[in-house]
Amino acid sequence: MVGFDFSNHNRNLALHARGVPLPQATSTGTTIVGCIFDGGVVIAADTRATSGPIVADKNCEKLHYIAPQIWCAGAGTAADTEFTTALISSNLELHSLSTGRKPRVITCMTMLKQHLFRYQGHIGAYLVVAGVDPTGVGLFTVHAHGSTDKLPYVTMGSGSLAAMSVFETQWKPELTRDEAVKLCANAIQAGIWNDLGSGSNVDVCVITENNSTLLRNYITPNVREKKQRNYRFPRGTTAVLNEKVIKREDISKYVTVHELKDDSETAVAEKMELDA
Amino acid sequence: MDSLVAQYSRPAFHNEGYSQEEQQELSQTMPGDISLKFALPPVAQPHAWLRAQTDDHANPSCPIKLAHGTTTLAFRFQGGIIVATDSRATAGDWIASQTVKKVIEINNCLLGTMAGGAADCQYWLAYLGMQCRLHELRHKRRITVAAASKILANLVYSYKGYGLSMGTMCAGVTPQEGPALYYIDSDGTRLAGNLFCVGSGQTFAYGVLDAEYKYDLSEEDALELGRRSILAATHRDAYSGGYINLYHVKEDGWVKHGFNDTNPIFWKTKLEKGEFSNVTSELV
Amino acid sequence: MASAFMQPGFGEAPGYSFSQAPTVAASGAREHSFYPYTDNGGSTLGITGQDFAILAGDTRSTSGYNINTRYAPKVFRIGSDDESGAGGHIVLAVCGFAADGEALKERLDAMVKMYRYQHGKPMSVKACAQRLATILYQKRFFPYYVHAILGGLDEEGKGALYSYDPVGSYEREQCRAAGAAASLIMPFLDNQVNFKNQFVPGSGVGHFLEAREPLPLPRKDVEELVRDAFSSAVERHIEVGDGLQMMVITKDGVEEIYHPLKRD
Repeated sequence: MVGFDFSNHNRNLALHARGVPLPQATSTGTTIVGCIFDGGVVIAADTRATSGPIVADKNCEKLHYIAPQIWCAGAGTAADTEFTTALISSNLELHSLSTGRKPRVITCMTMLKQHLFRYQGHIGAYLVVAGVDPTGVGLFTVHAHGSTDKLPYVTMGSGSLAAMSVFETQWKPELTRDEAVKLCANAIQAGIWNDLGSGSNVDVCVITENNSTLLRNYITPNVREKKQRNYRFPRGTTAVLNEKVIKREDISKYVTVHELKDDSETAVAEKMELDA
Repeated sequence: MDSLVAQYSRPAFHNEGYSQEEQQELSQTMPGDISLKFALPPVAQPHAWLRAQTDDHANPSCPIKLAHGTTTLAFRFQGGIIVATDSRATAGDWIASQTVKKVIEINNCLLGTMAGGAADCQYWLAYLGMQCRLHELRHKRRITVAAASKILANLVYSYKGYGLSMGTMCAGVTPQEGPALYYIDSDGTRLAGNLFCVGSGQTFAYGVLDAEYKYDLSEEDALELGRRSILAATHRDAYSGGYINLYHVKEDGWVKHGFNDTNPIFWKTKLEKGEFSNVTSELV
Repeated sequence: MASAFMQPGFGEAPGYSFSQAPTVAASGAREHSFYPYTDNGGSTLGITGQDFAILAGDTRSTSGYNINTRYAPKVFRIGSDDESGAGGHIVLAVCGFAADGEALKERLDAMVKMYRYQHGKPMSVKACAQRLATILYQKRFFPYYVHAILGGLDEEGKGALYSYDPVGSYEREQCRAAGAAASLIMPFLDNQVNFKNQFVPGSGVGHFLEAREPLPLPRKDVEELVRDAFSSAVERHIEVGDGLQMMVITKDGVEEIYHPLKRD
């Protein structure tokens, strides 16, 4: 691995000492959980991402793909969970290719903890790793400093206590698939309602011996009510001091231009999610 | 050590409920002496504690951000005194208000201006108004600007070190003095003068004011100069802005000359006089 | 000369100062043991109309990532005879530190009642506003950690609204948002109540386009704006939610309205 670029570290330290605030990373003050059942494992997460007290993303994805039968739920610094899981996913794929075997959950967990331990907690990734491999079902938590746990049901993030209270009262051995999904969704909802760092929807991923299913927005209990008023401004509300028209012929020298069908169509590439 | 002993040797429950004093205060509709009864935090150094809680200049993440005032000016000329201010209040980097009245009408011939802590200026200038009225009643004549400003200066000096923050100007006309202008700040400074600018935008205002100022200015030109100086400050100082508040103090009291939005004034100044040519709406 | 009240003004970007003494990281001796304040989150908002004033606040009380309760009112009737609110015509909204807010409300309530017993007439909103400023300033050196908004009807029967900083600087305004989501709600209010940055379409070209003049809004519109302001704040601020409490002050008295908000 190439590693991180530390060239600005000393400068930033000096700036901080002189009172310049450090830039705030988006953290997923989160509820993530995992729970095994007969024949597989379920992980679930809420979908709120925060930056301080502000909701940065109302519907983010905290369940990350590692391998076809291994998924990971991430809490902590959003960028760290994203890149750490992507890196390990990549390395695990190479490892699987060179050994000619299916990747194992324990291998993934070991790679994660070794990577995180090396950076002494500076990579703020708190993960729940789950999967099914030839040795059976695996469910682990990995903390940012590199410690790990192996348990039948786990919770992490700022809503971990709320979620754990659900597991501690309702979990039992030998759950069915549907029971496990329901239990995990309930645990996430405990976080959504009672932890300010968690909110919006429930994402679930079910992994069995044969396949893994991502149930994106499995429950959406926080749909925004319709606004009372219409806030569309009449054309001409904004003062225009000057205008410049750039013709298609000029701009197409630099970018590819697609013609829209009519005015109602706004986005060409990917449609953005909008409120009602 | 003594303070530690004192802390633990108080009788239990000594301050449950309202004290005798507090009960009396509650039953009075008007606060008896509004200047003297201030609650202090129960720590060894109240002012250091207060600073840690409220001084957003030294500590940008302090919990209580107080509203601060910003560009004010006043100058003497042959026709009296011009007083002009902006109207922005900031708390940290948040614009708390764009409509603050920073000229405080102490009575119908005395004006005070507000820079620094908004509450400090409002409260103590209201207090000064009260003292001025009492002076009138006691001595059967109007207080001089010199005396009024000295009441304020002595008052803030008695609170020196407690963290008051004000930079104020007292402008007025009296038969004894004629038009008089004083600068008072919370350090205890009190200065008489012809021309002052106070606040974070003071340098920008001085720039315009010093360049154009003459004692023999006509009334119209003097008002325009006051307005233009504040406009320059609101243009370059992020902590100044909003509306321009303009007053003219004359022989028989002050006259208000409007509370006008800076934005149209700026564009009018630019388009009609060709100033601010650095600002354009040209597209590259 | 003006050192004590200089803002970090020219030559420095807001909040990034290199010329000053070190601040948060290292700043000499400071009292740390005495910290009597907690931020209980939440937001309040007030808007006035021709013959009414509306004060509103969410009902969530937080500390850190926890919810203390989903129903802690932040808007109070002042000077009313009983819980029903009869006799009161002034409303106070406070947010910041709930205990200070409660203490402030109790104090102002007592003052307004004493005024009525002693003078045989209700206190005017203008007088009450001035009194609240002095109450706040009495604790200039040990402030109430609150942002207060006072609402009522003035002597002419028009809606009146006064907003305060923690130590009692105050001003009469058309609308004001305070608290955790103030920075989210206030720009919305500037645009929708005072019509800031709105021009009249077709009234001119370029610099001669006329700005849209603010007019007092009817009660229905204001209620809708308040609800939208809060439902939007709930979407983007974690400390705002659970319930919306509105007090509408008209010549007929104070009406209380409650709407549920999202609880996540």
